[in-house]
Amino acid sequence: MQSRNLYVMLALVGAVMGLLFATQLRVVREMDAEPRYDRAHLLVTQVAEAREERDAMQAEMEELRARLDQALAKPQLAELKAELDMIRIKAGLVDLKGPGVEVTLNDSAAPVQPGDNPNLFVLHDEDVLKILNELNAAGAEALSLNGQRILPTTEVRCIGPTILVNKNQRLTPPFIISAIGNPESLEGSLKMKGGVVESLQFWGIQVSVRKVTEVTVPAFSGGLRFDYARPVQ
Amino acid sequence: MAKVVSYLPIMLVALVLGVILAVQFRVTNPPEGVPYINREQDIVNELRELARERKRLEEEIIDLEYKLEQLETGQAEVTDALVAEVAKTRLGTGLVSVTGPGVEVILDNPPAVDGRPGGNLFLIRDEDLLKVVNELRGVGAEAISINGQRLVAFSEVRLVGSSFINVNLTRIIPPYQILAVGPPEDLMNTLMAPGGLTDFMQDVGIQVTVEKQDSLTVPAYKGEWYMNYAKPAQRG
Repeated sequence: MQSRNLYVMLALVGAVMGLLFATQLRVVREMDAEPRYDRAHLLVTQVAEAREERDAMQAEMEELRARLDQALAKPQLAELKAELDMIRIKAGLVDLKGPGVEVTLNDSAAPVQPGDNPNLFVLHDEDVLKILNELNAAGAEALSLNGQRILPTTEVRCIGPTILVNKNQRLTPPFIISAIGNPESLEGSLKMKGGVVESLQFWGIQVSVRKVTEVTVPAFSGGLRFDYARPVQ
Repeated sequence: MAKVVSYLPIMLVALVLGVILAVQFRVTNPPEGVPYINREQDIVNELRELARERKRLEEEIIDLEYKLEQLETGQAEVTDALVAEVAKTRLGTGLVSVTGPGVEVILDNPPAVDGRPGGNLFLIRDEDLLKVVNELRGVGAEAISINGQRLVAFSEVRLVGSSFINVNLTRIIPPYQILAVGPPEDLMNTLMAPGGLTDFMQDVGIQVTVEKQDSLTVPAYKGEWYMNYAKPAQRG
């Protein structure tokens, strides 16, 4: 009697197991066709396409501006046109060049010691912000990061190994800040004792500052739009 | 002999159970190289920003094409187009006072306590102001001022000595009032996010208030514009 109960129980358990197994097989088969993985790949493709489209539209906008420029080059409008040219320069819409410095940044390359928090040795928003700020304080007249112009509206976001600026421009290392100004003053302000370079090097962040006789700070390439701010009449 | 045979079903069941467990493990740990949801979120955010940029560019292109069309029609239209383009571009310089919805952020130092250990450590520094401004810019602030000083592209926010902060070579003293014109909800939320900037500042004793405003005015930059080293470059 005992052994018959045992076999009945085993049979029941076996049946349940069989059911579970069958369900599992079905889940696995569904999983391989799981849309979740395909969606991620699709998104990556979409981003690449969206970036291309953005770059193409930026080029188109630039061309239209150039045509507008030409069309406005009439002698009667010389004064107004000169004003537009100056305003464009001040709005960051024109490539600028001059003497200055190039600052190259990278995460720490040193191996992280056990017990250390690896996050401490990685480039943070505030590291880049401090460098840009120091350059401004030392008289930088124009700044760019990996070719992206720094405007009054420019944010700097360190996301993983990339930096996001101007809302939709994703930059990859090495990160190079170009600054136009007095090369000695700019270099000196970064490298001074107790200064920004020293405090970054404490965390192993790789910073190098190079004076240059000519550096180009490119124009802002995106669309200028003000949805909230209106000029005060 | 009988004992071994009677253990056989149990062994089979155990085998099957093992297989199920192994498969279950695989289901919850996707194979190497497949993005997780967090990565998708990062990509989706980027797509959203790219869509916004696309819209901005579209509108800019339409505006430029319209102006070009106008130029075909005559002298008056040309001047109008020029004046309009100047006005629009000027907003991007910081040389115009602007008004609009946004937020007002007020930061003040922790109240003085005699003999406070650590001295200046938790007084508001230039870094703190820079971080607040960076957050606001990240969600679309269009114009920002600190204690009446408009931030332009080359504005510094710099600790001078041990306790004074300069903006645009002008000394400002606490409390620090940051005005930002932009989407009020987004500006507020980015600062007030749990575990975010305001939490951090309040943890170190800095007094912070953030208030949405339907209409505030950010003054124009009134300082000098330096262009002694920078010259326009000819586009190739």
